[in-house]
Amino acid sequence: MTSVPTVLLVDDETAITDNLAPFLQRAGFGVVVAGDGDQALARIADTAPDLVVLDVLMPGRDGRSVLRAVRHGGGTVPIILLTQVGESVERAMALEEGADDYLNKPFDPHELVARIRAVLRRGGAAAGPALAAAHRLRSGPLVLDRTTQRVFRDDVELVLTPRATALLAYLMTHPGEVVSRERLLEQVWGWTFHSSTRTVDTRVAELRRAVEAGAGEPFVETVPGEGYRFARPVEAG
Amino acid sequence: MRRVLVAVLALLPLAAGAVLAGLGRAGRLPADRWFLSALPGDWALAVGAAVSLVAVVGVGVAALRDRTWRHRLRARGAQAAQDRRLLLSRLDHELKNPLTAMRAATANVAAGADPAQAAAVGTIEEQVLRLSRLTTDLRKIADIESARLDRRPVDLAELVEEMVDVARDLPGADERELVLDLPRAPWPLPPVPGDADLLSLAVANLLDNALKYTPPGGRVEVRAREAAGAVVLEVADTGRGIAAEELPQVWEEMYRSPSARSLPGSGLGLPLVRAVVERHGGRVQADSRVGHGTLFRLVLPV
Repeated sequence: MTSVPTVLLVDDETAITDNLAPFLQRAGFGVVVAGDGDQALARIADTAPDLVVLDVLMPGRDGRSVLRAVRHGGGTVPIILLTQVGESVERAMALEEGADDYLNKPFDPHELVARIRAVLRRGGAAAGPALAAAHRLRSGPLVLDRTTQRVFRDDVELVLTPRATALLAYLMTHPGEVVSRERLLEQVWGWTFHSSTRTVDTRVAELRRAVEAGAGEPFVETVPGEGYRFARPVEAG
Repeated sequence: MRRVLVAVLALLPLAAGAVLAGLGRAGRLPADRWFLSALPGDWALAVGAAVSLVAVVGVGVAALRDRTWRHRLRARGAQAAQDRRLLLSRLDHELKNPLTAMRAATANVAAGADPAQAAAVGTIEEQVLRLSRLTTDLRKIADIESARLDRRPVDLAELVEEMVDVARDLPGADERELVLDLPRAPWPLPPVPGDADLLSLAVANLLDNALKYTPPGGRVEVRAREAAGAVVLEVADTGRGIAAEELPQVWEEMYRSPSARSLPGSGLGLPLVRAVVERHGGRVQADSRVGHGTLFRLVLPV
């Protein structure tokens, strides 16, 4: 990316956009602001942003409807949803409908910047169909069918708990990205509490036992002091 | 027991009547016919039967009323809990946008050079973070109440052993005696259908609590046993204890005992435990004596 990437920030709360816009600018992004869903669609059409940060709960056309309109129209601009509801059902729906990532309010603005950078790095439009929306994820011999929630290695089905499958899906849709235990808990389990990060280690261990048995190079890497990373390239389909 | 007594009392007149009637037939009562030319024994039987009938009807009506009231009381309790949850979720909802704006705002001014200003901004940041955590934790409890469970047979013994191991690494744990007692004979604990991650969270919270409220040199016991189609898990401590009048409230969101305010905590640990256990169809109990310690009991259906 040679020029400054442009972020379209969509939220009906001016207290949020007024403070977040300068923060994002200082982080090195060009920022365009929209105050509602219809404005957001208009700005996406006329400014062609590199990424959209989209609030879900807005009066009138809400964020989910904007997301749907963009994806139905064939738009591939990466979208990060700002969700109000932390429920796992909502979360799954957001990803299924083609959001690239999401953050629960109230979030750390630095975390938003980190996610924007990660999503932009993943390539968004240039990489073809986004991994987040793909029904099948493939990494070498490993295939995850997200519609049926089944995992195969060399065409042999692996037995995984639903949680381990969800964990694998999250890691595979964020290849190369270091994901902290806290974030995995929030995204895969739907809850974060102090003293619960060991849960992540237990599930990652389970995942590794099932997925990596005799596979040579690891799929999931531990990054000491930081978290986990899906270490191999992933493609959709 | 009470029910049997009431039934016996209600049927006593009938029985007395029957005895008298029997005595009459045996010729032990005067044989002169009374009013409507019935024998005294038969009268006694009739009066006994009538009184018993009235008593039985009375007991039935009372039981029915009792049941209705209990029903209403339970419905009222459930409604109150529902209302409280709704209020909390609305509060959480309304706090989110202001907190998001405040976090963005403080992130913007954090670069200031003046040390006094930097300290003030630091304080605001910390406190906003604290509020953010509180709303997040509140929402998580609501999530647990409604989320889909990843239900499969869980070896509770293994899970508890692991959580006790984790707890031994907590700061200050080595100054307290932590004892684990799990049955091996005649058979180990049966598997509990449930979400292993959520159950570990519940156990970890109880252990954290027990260690936090038990002074150095104290003792924390973790034990489990099988009883009547359930696994009963107990975490007992020799901590400061909870006053009887506060005991029911410890399971409520954000309740903090006045005597525990000196210790850090959000008042969300035990409500979380309760949410997890009730989501598994189980129940929670607490027993405590001030100055002696506290026992938390989780009953999880097998």
